[in-house]
Amino acid sequence: MNMTRRQFIASLGSTGLFYAFHFTSKSGAQTQSVEEPFTAMVDPGCVVSDMDIDYTDWIAFGPGDKVSVFTGRAELGQGLKTVITAIVTQGLEITRSNLAVVMGDTDLCPDDGITSGSSSTRMVGWGFWLACEKITGDVIARASQYVGIPADDLEFRRGGVGRKGETGNLVNASELGNGKTLIMTINPRTMSAGKKYTDLKIPNVNAEEIITGRLKYVGDLKKPGMLYAGWLCTPYHRTVTKLKSVDAGAALALPGVKKVETVWGRVAVLGERYSDVIKGLDLVETTWSEPNRPKEMPLEEARANAGLLAVEEQKGDINAGLSASDFTYSENYTTHYTCHCQLETDMAVAQVENGGDKAAVWVSTQHSHKAKELIADALHIPPENVRSIGMPAGGAFGGKQANPVNREAAKLSSLVGAPVKLVYSRKDQFQLRAFFKAACIIEVTSGVSANGKILARKVDSYQDVGHGTKHTYDIPHVLVKAYRDPNWPLGLASSRGTSYVQTCFATESHIDMLAHKLGIDPLEFRRKNVEFPAYVNLIDSCADMIGYGKNELEADEGIGLAIVLHGGAQLGAIAAKVAVNRNTGKITVKRLCGAFDIGTVINLNTATVGLRGGMAWGIGYALSEEIELDGHSTKTEYFSQYRIARFSDMPPIDISFHDNHQPGSPPRGCGEMPVIPTIGAIANAVYNAVGVRFYSTPITPEKIKNALGSATREAI
Amino acid sequence: MAKKNFTLNVNGKVRQVTAELDEPLLWVLRDNLGLTGTKFGCGSGECGACSVLIDGEVRRSCRVPVAYAALGREITTIEGLGTTGNLSPLQKAFIDHTAFCCGFCTPGMLITATALLAKNPYPSREEIITAMDNNLCRCGSYLNVIEAIEAVIKAT
Ligand code: FES
Ligand code: FES
Repeated sequence: MNMTRRQFIASLGSTGLFYAFHFTSKSGAQTQSVEEPFTAMVDPGCVVSDMDIDYTDWIAFGPGDKVSVFTGRAELGQGLKTVITAIVTQGLEITRSNLAVVMGDTDLCPDDGITSGSSSTRMVGWGFWLACEKITGDVIARASQYVGIPADDLEFRRGGVGRKGETGNLVNASELGNGKTLIMTINPRTMSAGKKYTDLKIPNVNAEEIITGRLKYVGDLKKPGMLYAGWLCTPYHRTVTKLKSVDAGAALALPGVKKVETVWGRVAVLGERYSDVIKGLDLVETTWSEPNRPKEMPLEEARANAGLLAVEEQKGDINAGLSASDFTYSENYTTHYTCHCQLETDMAVAQVENGGDKAAVWVSTQHSHKAKELIADALHIPPENVRSIGMPAGGAFGGKQANPVNREAAKLSSLVGAPVKLVYSRKDQFQLRAFFKAACIIEVTSGVSANGKILARKVDSYQDVGHGTKHTYDIPHVLVKAYRDPNWPLGLASSRGTSYVQTCFATESHIDMLAHKLGIDPLEFRRKNVEFPAYVNLIDSCADMIGYGKNELEADEGIGLAIVLHGGAQLGAIAAKVAVNRNTGKITVKRLCGAFDIGTVINLNTATVGLRGGMAWGIGYALSEEIELDGHSTKTEYFSQYRIARFSDMPPIDISFHDNHQPGSPPRGCGEMPVIPTIGAIANAVYNAVGVRFYSTPITPEKIKNALGSATREAI
Repeated sequence: MAKKNFTLNVNGKVRQVTAELDEPLLWVLRDNLGLTGTKFGCGSGECGACSVLIDGEVRRSCRVPVAYAALGREITTIEGLGTTGNLSPLQKAFIDHTAFCCGFCTPGMLITATALLAKNPYPSREEIITAMDNNLCRCGSYLNVIEAIEAVIKAT
């Protein structure tokens, strides 16, 4: 195995200066510093959520004017490495070539939590921002002692310290170390950045490697003596069937096939080349037990069997609120199963040595440290014997949080005694992994006063967790409950936008319907009912960009709006313009305009492409993405059966940024937020275009044709 | 099936490989030749991540048998488009316009766009979309890719 963290840091130079930043939001935690021997540095083990920030990251100076920063988080395409680079190069005034950003290697990096929930920039990014500020003060103090010049006469620049008014540095920060680690505690809630971050437009730091094909993803690695591996796809979902028999004779007769392993009730073929694996898998004969549950899996069945999962939101007295209302209105919405479809399928490379006692696993995952734990578990060895090395991922979107491929590759490597690259095929992603965003039923009832104020809202969400109602509309009486069928045969995935996606489709469609029933313009109705004035700006901005109310629409065109609050503080409003073709049933999204309030935008380039990408997901969810499955198996096998948004589905997109906090306020993240209101905005635009409300996603051409073919313009 | 020796002309170099007749070119490029810039996204010709140029035409290397590619044809992979210090205008434009997030689809996008502009230096937006439409990007970087291509057209 390669270098340990200590060796790595030692290699930076004997006098390297090391900082460990403990970010914590625990009440009472003060911003403070203590010096400890380097060996005492421990991973705190962290829980990162909106309410509880508690993690550690590291910054090391040396050798010379080099700086290294360490985070356990992953580069998934969201641009975190670029964001950290932008922040640290600016914060420490160093050049890009002097900075190394080390990510996701459990031997080198602290466990600062899972890379999910659009949290990396707002936590790790901002953490580094504050840390850089603390560091510059500390380095000046050390330098003052070292060179014997009062701190007031010194300033921090280019990773070192110089005298004010003079050029050239007196000392590099790395020369000020004493072999100890300075552990600093920072409470991001109580410390605000004094130094303002300048918005940047910097290229993705991996750009040149990406466009020349040199960036190595996990699938691009090769180890001496490595075997390729693939799982045999089961005929039924794995939870409903058991392996009865295996005949591997014909597969093993192929020259390239080296092993056929049966493990955890599944069959893997291992070969010299991936094409050997594919051929071998074709020749393995298996029998499986009959599925242990009925084939049909209607959502209504889940609703009938569901038990209360959580009371997601409760305010006032829902019954009193509804009875005090002048008008009440109930609707049911449903959504369909969707799949992450990262372009990079699940893959891992594992090298288990020492008779199965020591493992190095190269992973494409959202949480390397979690992968390490799971691998140790699978091999029954202590976690310290496992190194999990995060590689840049070809997309994750929630589907690579604890992805089983990492421990599976390790297990296969330990069984065959050689390095193994385990590759999931595209079909495996759909049928074997079968890890989908939940289909939901969402029942919404609202009560409104005669003057158009929403007084009460009740939401019952079946099969997902019901997030996404809070702090959008100012409603005194609210009750939101989530229910789930405990015997549902499929694991339910978190996926870009999580349950906000389903909830927001339902509630934003419903808001529109309330407005129409009351004869109020949907924009006015929202303005009147939103919880924060900040929404009004956003709604006006996106409405303005799209030409809302300007009567420029042609026949069967429409405009719709939707708003969202995601991740505690990301606000967004989206306006969609669509055209509906009554003959083909095709909906064309003609324009999307998004107004977003996400704090400081660290890097406009990565933020913009990410926001647009999120809206592409919204288009897919709204119009085409739908996994076909029943209680036994997933039918979807190919991309041609599952349409994610493509070039031809993309409209022009306009984006405006707003910041209702002080300019220079912390970044708040934006990876998932734009997905969410796009769906409701499109559904509302379709209603505006053809006067038909669609109560289920995706709104396919068939649904349009069925609805418009029938003479009535009733809700479908 | 027995393995055979093939001579491939890849990125202007003659390379000898041993593979089965029907082995997809994708795996020969990646595993025999270490040209891992060409990506596997589906294996069924539907995503475009594995796109390469064969005699100037965009081909899905996951669907092209090595035996076909070995018939004296010129193969160009992402590694052959341009290298540091000598990037193609499209590669530069992809950087300038942030035409990717995770970058997994990018080699296929660049190969397809390169073939488009070689045949038609001034495509309309519609022609760009038609040429690129079977290249999938789950990160949704599509508009940025279009902007990058249009920037090259404008500068030509
Ligand atoms: S891998 Fe060849 S088209 Fe997807
Ligand atoms: S940039 Fe990630 S798939 Fe295109």
